[in-house]
Amino acid sequence: MRRDFGRGLVATAPLIPGVVVFGLLYGVMARQVGFSPWEAWAMSLIVHAGSAQFVALGMWETSSAINIILTTLIINLRHLLMGASVAPYIHGLPKPWQALLALWMSDESYALAIAEYERGRGSHWYFLGANVGIYLIWPVSGFLGALLGTAIPSPDRYGLDLIFPLAFLGLLTSFLQDRISVIVALSAGGLALLGACLLPGKWYIVAAGLLGSGLGLLLEGRAKR
Amino acid sequence: MAGMALVTYLTRYTMIATLGRSDLSPALRRWLRYIPPAVLAALVAPAALAPHGHVEVGLPAWSVLVGAVVAWRTHNVLWTILGGLAAFWLLRAMGF
Repeated sequence: MRRDFGRGLVATAPLIPGVVVFGLLYGVMARQVGFSPWEAWAMSLIVHAGSAQFVALGMWETSSAINIILTTLIINLRHLLMGASVAPYIHGLPKPWQALLALWMSDESYALAIAEYERGRGSHWYFLGANVGIYLIWPVSGFLGALLGTAIPSPDRYGLDLIFPLAFLGLLTSFLQDRISVIVALSAGGLALLGACLLPGKWYIVAAGLLGSGLGLLLEGRAKR
Repeated sequence: MAGMALVTYLTRYTMIATLGRSDLSPALRRWLRYIPPAVLAALVAPAALAPHGHVEVGLPAWSVLVGAVVAWRTHNVLWTILGGLAAFWLLRAMGF
C-alpha cells in the first residue's frame, strides 16, 4: 500500500523536467498578464490543468469569466474519456477515494496509472502516488516562473516539449497486445493528426479517443462472429 | 479561478462517479479497454507530426520515431524519453 504510493511517486520522476519546463513557462506568461507569483501558484494549485491554464491566461484580459470557464470545460472534456476508462479499475473503492483520485488526475498521472493497471500491477495507491508526484511540482514551478519573470528559452529548442509525448509512447506499448489494439492506436493517431489540423483546441483528443475506441469495439465484434 | 477548478473537477469525476458505482455491462467494459490506446496515440501523433498545427515531418517527428523504436524494444518510459531526446539533440547538433 505505502510501497505502491512510493512507486507511483517515483514513476513520475522522468516526467518532472517536462512539468517544470511548462510550469516555468506558465509562470512567465502569468506574470505578463499581471499575476503575482502567489496568484500564479494559487491557480496551479486549485485548477491544476496545464493546457487549460495556458489558454485561460491568453484570454484573461479580453474575455469574460464565463467564457474562460466554458473554454476550460471544453479543453478538459478529454478527462471524461480518461475517467471512464479508469473507472472499472477503481470500481468498488469507497467514494472519498474515487473523489480524491479524480481531484488530481492529470494526463500524465492517468497514463502512468492506467498502464500499470494494464500490466496487472496497478493499485489506487500507485494512482494516488502518480497524481501527487505531478501535483507537487506543477504549482511550485509556476511560482518560480512568475518570480523569475524573465524570458526562458522556449522548450522546443531543446526538445523538452517532447518529454510528454515520449512518455505517452512508452506507456502506449503496454496496450498493444493484439492486432485490434494496434489498429485502434494507429487509427486514433491518424484521426488525432487530422483533428489537430482541423478542429479547435483539444477536440482532437476527444474525437480520436471516441472514434478509435469505437472502432476497436466494432472490430472485436466482427472478429468474434 | 474557482469556476475553472470546478469544471475541471467535473470532467474528471463525472465518469468515475457514474461508472465506478454499478456493475458494468461486458460491452461497455470492452469499449473502455480500447480508450487508453486510442487516447495515448491521440496525444502522441499530433505532438510528433503537427507540433505547429499543420503536418510537418521535422525534428520532433524523427525524434519520436526513435522514441517509438525504444518504446517498442524496452516498454520503459525513462528509456523512451532518453532515447527520443538523445535523437533530438544528436540530429540538431548535426544541423537538422
